[in-house]
Amino acid sequence: MSPSYRLGVDIGGTFTDLMLLEEESGDLHMLKTPSVPGAPAQAVVDGIEKLIARERIAPESIAYFCHGTTLALNTIIQRNGAATGLLVTAGFRDVLELQRLRLPNPHHFYADKPKPLVPRRWVREIDERVTADGVVLRSPDPEQVRREAARLCEEGVTAIAICFLHAYRYDVAERLAKDAIQARFPDLYVCTSSEIWPQYREYERALVTVMNAYVGDRMRRYFTMLEERLGGLGVRCAILSTKSNGGVMSAASAGERPVQTLLSGPASGVIGSLYVSRLMGQDHIVTLDMGGTSADVAIVSGELPYSTDSKVGEFPVILPTVEVSSIGAGGGSIAWTDPTGVLKVGPQSAGADPGPASYGRGGENATVTDAYVTVGIIDPARFLGASMLLRGDLARAAVRRIGETLGLDEHEAANSILQVATSNMYAEFLPVLASHGVDPRDYALVPYGGAGPTHAFLLAREVGIRKVIVPPNPGTLCAMGSLVADVRGDFVRTIYSDCDELPDAQLASTIHELEREARDWLAGQGARVDDTVLLRNAEMRYKGQSHEIAVPLAEEMRTAALVAAFHRRYREVYGYHDEAAVVELISLRMTIIGIVPKPILTRLLHPADADVAVRQRPVYLDGKVWNATVVDRRALSPDVPLEGPVIVEQYDTTTFVPPGFRVHADAFGNLIGEAD
Amino acid sequence: MRLDGVTIEILKNRFQGIVSEMGQTVLHTGHTVFIKETADFGAMLVTPKGEVFAAPLNIGVTVLIGKPMDAAIKAIAEYHEGDICIANDPDTTGGMATHLPDLFVWKPVFWEGELVCFAWTFIHASDVGGKVPGSISPSSYDLYQEGVVLPPTKVFERGEVVQPVLDIILANCRIPDQNWGDLKSLVAALNTGERRLHEMIRRYGIDVLRDGMEDVLEYAERQTRRIIRDIPDGDYEFSDYMEGEVAGIGVIRIKLKMTVRGDEILLDFTGTDPQVPAALNMPTKSKNGHWMIVPALVKYFKSVEPNLTYNSGMVRPVKVKIPRGTLLNPEPHAASGVRAATMFRVFDVVSGALAQAVPHQVPAAGSGQGCIVLVSLLDIDSGQNKISVVQPLCGGCGGRPMKDGLDGVDFSLGSLRNVPTESLEREMPLLIQKYAVRPDSAGAGKHRGGSGVELVVRCYTPNTVVTARGMERYRFRPWGLFGGRAGTTGFTKLRRGDGKTEDIGQIDILFLNPGDELHFGAQGGGGYGDPLDRDAAIVVDDVRNELLSTQAAERIYGVVVRDGRLDEAATETTRASRRVAAAPAWVDFGPERVAYDASWTPALQDELAAMLSTLPSSLRHFFRVRITERARARLSRGERVDAAELRAILESLRGDLRVEAAASHG
Repeated sequence: MSPSYRLGVDIGGTFTDLMLLEEESGDLHMLKTPSVPGAPAQAVVDGIEKLIARERIAPESIAYFCHGTTLALNTIIQRNGAATGLLVTAGFRDVLELQRLRLPNPHHFYADKPKPLVPRRWVREIDERVTADGVVLRSPDPEQVRREAARLCEEGVTAIAICFLHAYRYDVAERLAKDAIQARFPDLYVCTSSEIWPQYREYERALVTVMNAYVGDRMRRYFTMLEERLGGLGVRCAILSTKSNGGVMSAASAGERPVQTLLSGPASGVIGSLYVSRLMGQDHIVTLDMGGTSADVAIVSGELPYSTDSKVGEFPVILPTVEVSSIGAGGGSIAWTDPTGVLKVGPQSAGADPGPASYGRGGENATVTDAYVTVGIIDPARFLGASMLLRGDLARAAVRRIGETLGLDEHEAANSILQVATSNMYAEFLPVLASHGVDPRDYALVPYGGAGPTHAFLLAREVGIRKVIVPPNPGTLCAMGSLVADVRGDFVRTIYSDCDELPDAQLASTIHELEREARDWLAGQGARVDDTVLLRNAEMRYKGQSHEIAVPLAEEMRTAALVAAFHRRYREVYGYHDEAAVVELISLRMTIIGIVPKPILTRLLHPADADVAVRQRPVYLDGKVWNATVVDRRALSPDVPLEGPVIVEQYDTTTFVPPGFRVHADAFGNLIGEAD
Repeated sequence: MRLDGVTIEILKNRFQGIVSEMGQTVLHTGHTVFIKETADFGAMLVTPKGEVFAAPLNIGVTVLIGKPMDAAIKAIAEYHEGDICIANDPDTTGGMATHLPDLFVWKPVFWEGELVCFAWTFIHASDVGGKVPGSISPSSYDLYQEGVVLPPTKVFERGEVVQPVLDIILANCRIPDQNWGDLKSLVAALNTGERRLHEMIRRYGIDVLRDGMEDVLEYAERQTRRIIRDIPDGDYEFSDYMEGEVAGIGVIRIKLKMTVRGDEILLDFTGTDPQVPAALNMPTKSKNGHWMIVPALVKYFKSVEPNLTYNSGMVRPVKVKIPRGTLLNPEPHAASGVRAATMFRVFDVVSGALAQAVPHQVPAAGSGQGCIVLVSLLDIDSGQNKISVVQPLCGGCGGRPMKDGLDGVDFSLGSLRNVPTESLEREMPLLIQKYAVRPDSAGAGKHRGGSGVELVVRCYTPNTVVTARGMERYRFRPWGLFGGRAGTTGFTKLRRGDGKTEDIGQIDILFLNPGDELHFGAQGGGGYGDPLDRDAAIVVDDVRNELLSTQAAERIYGVVVRDGRLDEAATETTRASRRVAAAPAWVDFGPERVAYDASWTPALQDELAAMLSTLPSSLRHFFRVRITERARARLSRGERVDAAELRAILESLRGDLRVEAAASHG
């Protein structure tokens, strides 16, 4: 039998990464190809053609194909999606405008709130109303719906979102409106809030529905075209897409619910990190994704962290999403001094163009990357595996200019830039830790992205993390994540009922209904699944509160047992509970996970490549010059630790291990750094 | 500054991280809805002298700068490691606390037996006793109606809870368990702060830390002094009114003379009306840089310099002068539950002064109201009383130099969240008929004000009681700047079940029957700049978005819109014919205030204020109301009133009182 392969693709803003895995041997093959902004499918097809030609494999031997795309995300951030209309219940035209009131930054006179994706003139009121108890006060008149849709179409609208009050539970009116529109305008992209995410809170639900409509048509066409093109290449397997929840779904599902792909990029990175670190028995990790313009962390305590309060651009997203928090800027952050003579780093970034001074593209500002070069962490001749030559002289000159205003030489200035950058990250990182209630000493830091491994140890020693795991391919970890992600679907039913008024039969039937929906969904994804896991949660609270906590739900559970479980859980979280208080069940959530067979990564059976020379280079750090050991990643042997300072170079990043840490490679090719 | 420019930045970031972590700890472990939903709490680091040297930017409330902790610190005779103190009394804390629901809790941080600084927190407790649930009622007339009064005292001593103190506090609250839960979350945050400070001391040394606290304050101070130096020297006067009619105390004036000299600012509120027998007093103790006086300046500083270090150093150059016995510096035991409404007006007054000093850097007045509408009713099934916030009601913010005001939200309530209709209707038997932007409400301008908000609530259970605190700007509009027009006032309309509608104005307490419908309209912000200079395309946009009627577009903006399109030629002609050579007045207060000021002139009000200031403060309000009544009655009859006349009225009133007293005794 000829070998079969898995192909993972991650389409980023600059590069499209491909990762090919031979299922039997676990061998990995990587390819980076420039992204094609105007035609995102093109880069995928180009890359696959190149890769299969290079590795001499037959297209039909690709048994698994999964890809992640930022197309939906960029469409929203760049605000170039479909002209979208929104139908709402009469009286609530400004649901997108009023939002939740709270300003993102109320500190100054020029604060703004996110500008809605749908202008007010395209939000139309439908004369319908159902009460919170489901009493229909007015049913929508299909004629009025058609009339409003027709007017919107005349104004150029090509997609319509529908969000009526209380439709999280009573969806008849939304379905009626959708049917009325589709019967008359079959080409419009129409979606309802009850099908996208039936959860109460009208602003947040309307928003995800609008986002879905805003990107829907483009994404559906994209996936259709990708399927055709890949079919043309001879790739026969199902096409899967990554999701914000860290799972994957079929291309067809992604076309219907593109809103679920919005934050799939960061999610894939976390999935990849967790996979790599689990192989070595470590499942309490902090991931650090640091590139040119941003640094993001996720805190994983055995399980993936989920948030239903994420952000896409400025907008809140209530869909379950792998929780990733920004802790500031990346390697492109600009250093400057203010009129008081205090050194600042960021928030302005040099971005990719002109980029850091050392890129030699006209950037005059000293950036964090220039500081790496000046202190000696990055060798300008060997940056990214020498694929890009840096100008050390320009880096030093830019850093020197900063130094002059501070009365410091270039090394001291560069070192100061790194310290201030790290303290910026510290300030953002600490509250993230607190919101998870974790002790950093119990966690390993897993860095990836171009600058992650370069800065990870500096951050670790500042926040008290004692172990750092650098995966073998930190630059393509998202593509790796897409190869190992399970099929994962989330489903919700809003119940919103006092528990003492909730019959056991209703609880049971709702759970069964959710379960059937979940299993049907999984069956339709077309992915090979070894095993199925169902996670059931009840979102509950004491009556009168406005925040719920999640209570795990046993398969057959009576209401009384659920209430008891809630009291216990509440006590665990808050240290006390109140038996006398009325408990509310707000919603039931079900997550179905189709476990896909996991690849086995190559173990480093061969000894380290002894031909690669070990060199020395001075590094300026903490007021001293250190003679750092410089090694190529391939030269690191398992189980022979090196004492920091060590610089490990590889094609997609540079790892810097400061004094006070030891580093060695493990059997999977991970770099393991540990504090002395 | 003692340290170098790199170390200062690193320490500043460290401190910032610590206070954010403390805030996040409160949020993560807190119990009540107040913490989770309205985020009405704060976390700070404070020097031994009582200055806030770090406060979080994105967690909790945004008014921590300028909290004076000196009096509270000194009120405790001796601190030991493990002590935790509590207070909420405005008088003995010297204006740190300004109403009783704010419980302040602080912990001294020691190193090798010596006091280093304080970790500090506060939370707006949902109830601290007093005459109404929630402890706040506009009509409270002294402090004792507003809850349990706590002068600074230890609630933990050397790590052990002081049970009698805790018991007394909790015994005076309606929700002791929840309050204790929240207090524990504050304690957790204080302990977090202490632990992190100890880590810093171990890393950088105690001397660097001590220097660092002082330096980050000085850093903020220097940055701010640089900003103030760019404000032209001068005296800038402004006044504005609170509308106390509903509390029976009439129109109250807040008057300011802002003096800028070099790199210092003096805010002198001499001439402000006497304190009132209602919950609107704002007990600042006339502290320099007081946190309820400075928010407009802090926002201005932060607008000019987004990187400004966020601590009390930035208000060191801001001196404050407020005569005792006035609204903004009442005598001890004055009611102050609704002092936030007063703070919003102080914000407007300081903005108004600032707008004259730096004309193109300050927005016009926003809605100026931060009103909380509460409904209490009997559940028709259970017969139990239920209380809920319906919505925080505020209108749009003022038009801004360079851009429009924001619709439906003002800086005054910028950190609060609203209540989803779907949540409210589940919790309360109410039907929300409308919650939307209020068209044609924005003050016109080159950059228009933010539109107000409309809320229509239909009641369908008996015994529904609506209370509202902080309703303002029902009479006098949010003002416009530099040709921008004043915005619109708020309204409350009641449509009874029988179909009759009446305009009921401000609400104190209101009883509704099934079928009654209450319609609130919150203010549109004032405009900025001449409406004739507004980009015609944007005016057309507002018309197409149905925020502005076609008629108003033509009448106010001179923009002619036909069939949803701009008629360029007609617009040009119309606009040209409207333009006048004379520059408009720099501020537009709207006709109501113009008329009010024309008869009851600011000069007369100054006279009266000066006269009243010679009376014992407890008598000032009494005489102010009566003198104002008589004087205005004469003015309305067309009679002349001057300073001598006011004195005569005062004397005659005194005479009447003596006669009255004699008669009752006789």
